[in-house]
Amino acid sequence: MSFDGYKDKIEEGDTVILYLTITQVYCIKAEPKTLNKKGNLIENVFQTPYGALKCAELIGKYYGSKISLSKGWGYVLQPTPELWTITLPHRTQIIYTPDMSMIILQLELCPGSIVVESGTGSGSLSHGLIRAIKPHGHLYTFDFHKTRAETAQEEFKDHGLANYVTVTHRDVCENGFGDDLDNKANAVFLDLPHPWLAIPHSLKSLKQTGGRLCSFSPCIEQVQKSCLMLLKLGFQEIQTMEVLQTQYAVQQRSLPVVNLDFLKSEKDGTETEKKDREMIKTITAIPPPTQPGHTGYLTFATLPPIWARNLQISLNQDDINDAD
Amino acid sequence: MEDTESETTINVGDFLVVQRQGYTKLHKLRKHGNMVLGSFTVEMDNIVGERYSDTFQMKNMPGSKRFYILEKVDEVNSAAGCVSIEKSGADNRHIPNNADSQGLTKEDIDKLKGEELSSNNIVEQLINNSKTFNMKTEYSQEKYIKKKEKKYFEYIQIRKPSIRLLSQMFYRQDPTKTLGIRTDDLSQILSYANIHSEGNHLLYDSGTSGLMTAAITNAVGPRTTGSLIHMHPGNECQKNGFVAMQFPQEQADRCINVNLYSVLRCFYQNKGDYSGKSETVSESDANVDADNGEPSAKRTKVEGGASQKKQWQLDNERACKLLEGKVDSLVVVSKEHPVSIVKELMQFLRGGRGFVVFNSLKEPLQDLYVYLKGRVDIVSIRLSSNFMRAYQVLPDRTHPEVNMNAGVTF
Repeated sequence: MSFDGYKDKIEEGDTVILYLTITQVYCIKAEPKTLNKKGNLIENVFQTPYGALKCAELIGKYYGSKISLSKGWGYVLQPTPELWTITLPHRTQIIYTPDMSMIILQLELCPGSIVVESGTGSGSLSHGLIRAIKPHGHLYTFDFHKTRAETAQEEFKDHGLANYVTVTHRDVCENGFGDDLDNKANAVFLDLPHPWLAIPHSLKSLKQTGGRLCSFSPCIEQVQKSCLMLLKLGFQEIQTMEVLQTQYAVQQRSLPVVNLDFLKSEKDGTETEKKDREMIKTITAIPPPTQPGHTGYLTFATLPPIWARNLQISLNQDDINDAD
Repeated sequence: MEDTESETTINVGDFLVVQRQGYTKLHKLRKHGNMVLGSFTVEMDNIVGERYSDTFQMKNMPGSKRFYILEKVDEVNSAAGCVSIEKSGADNRHIPNNADSQGLTKEDIDKLKGEELSSNNIVEQLINNSKTFNMKTEYSQEKYIKKKEKKYFEYIQIRKPSIRLLSQMFYRQDPTKTLGIRTDDLSQILSYANIHSEGNHLLYDSGTSGLMTAAITNAVGPRTTGSLIHMHPGNECQKNGFVAMQFPQEQADRCINVNLYSVLRCFYQNKGDYSGKSETVSESDANVDADNGEPSAKRTKVEGGASQKKQWQLDNERACKLLEGKVDSLVVVSKEHPVSIVKELMQFLRGGRGFVVFNSLKEPLQDLYVYLKGRVDIVSIRLSSNFMRAYQVLPDRTHPEVNMNAGVTF
């Protein structure tokens, strides 16, 4: 219940982010008991590299406070979509923060927007979308994998977000988003193997006054097919991009200075033997030796309002003809 | 969020984004106002009462050479579809590289423009008078047409401003306008600072043309509980982007613009003033809340009005009151060296909340990193930069856009 709104203290049932080091961040549940693999109720203990943590002890602690472990310490933080993204249990490939941020800004979301998402996947993006549109917006999310849809539903409920989201198990490429959503959505997000099949359905769901669409695809062939479909249906401002982030390691380095001046004069015995070698300290930021070079292509497009749609379709037709 | 008629209709006083092919421009619509668009001066009267996303054609005004009027169109004739190409060359081996391949002079072209602005017409004339056009390959012929069409394109579209359009426009016009914040930077600042409809957000901004305030206010949204304290170093803050978004009054009121120095002076030296005030307000809060649910921020203003204080003093007091209760996020976007600013503003941040510092240079942020690392109470510090690449997607001709943005910001 710890995703909806700022909180000061940890309550029972909260999902809590345990921060140990920059690469060791975990999410745990503040519950005294948990089910083990056999389905028996046991004490909820989280094993960290710095010692075991009894989760029941977290209840009542302040978010942001330091907790001691037997061989070190850690901090407990309230989850944000960003922290959740790096700690969540992966059920599928997930969308990371740089892409997620871009999607939210490019879809022009603000509190009150209605968004359609497919597929739900591990729900990484869903958390970001919900944050952007609450309290009076709504997210309709679809997945063709039954268990995934159910797990996601459970998770939203557990995180206290159930009021902002509707999870549906459906293959949207075949069956669309449903008549209930006709002309309702401000924006549609597609992360599907065949996004071009869902684009006509998206058109139906978007508002008469127009809206934005985003399709996330790892392969360029998917992008090409989607773009053609978007052109055909009269979308404008079709734009494909990639967003990559580099994280630097800030380090202080000491470099020895080679002094060659003494070579110019003869030895006269006054030099002190074995001077401390002079060092210059410098602060530098080092990019990582390897980093992800590709996540997926983001294709964005605008659906013009109904009164400007025919014009756009005829314009796009010219572009398609040119290309042939 | 019902889209009412008034939201989609273009009215006098509205801010518009005028788009002519890839070019966009922000324009405030006035009664009988003109707009300068490149080499064209356009009278804007005809678009009043029309709807957003409509397309208009620039037509010559009778009797005046340089003025154009706008006419709504339902169909656009693009040059590429109209100009007939007789033959094409196989490659560019016979094309001489000199300036006299075009037979028309500048005067001729200006005359054509003066008679009737029609890109199709002009492009056709240009092609007919080009000595090398028929030698070009099919691809480069098409490229030539597109390039020329762009120059004489007579259609413009009127768009409603959004954060996306503004951010792209500012960055294209001049990246220094937003201190180098690109669309991807902006989006990540908002994410990492956890800006959303709830909580009090604190922003220090030394000049992003109002883009940061607009983006945060947009994310805070209409009819929500969140608010933003915007600290700026000058007498007046930059507001371009903010006013362009035309937020409803209630939403715009929750962005409090204060001067960095005067608000902190108020915070340290006049503590009695606003704390006393906050007490009385909370008292009256309790009374009034029972009657109606009017937001308390508004009431502070009403009350202050009675005591004849200047607007900026009231804003300062409002801001201090919020600061006393601490804020939930901090964003620092500065021209100045960030360490001292962050050091000062950090005290207002509630424990366990995130903050983001943006600078177009890496070195000041390295200093900041070392400072933050030195304080033991801050964790999860990251220094990162972004790389964004746009793609041209066409059948058989997909490649990264030729113009890539190599700028790196942190």
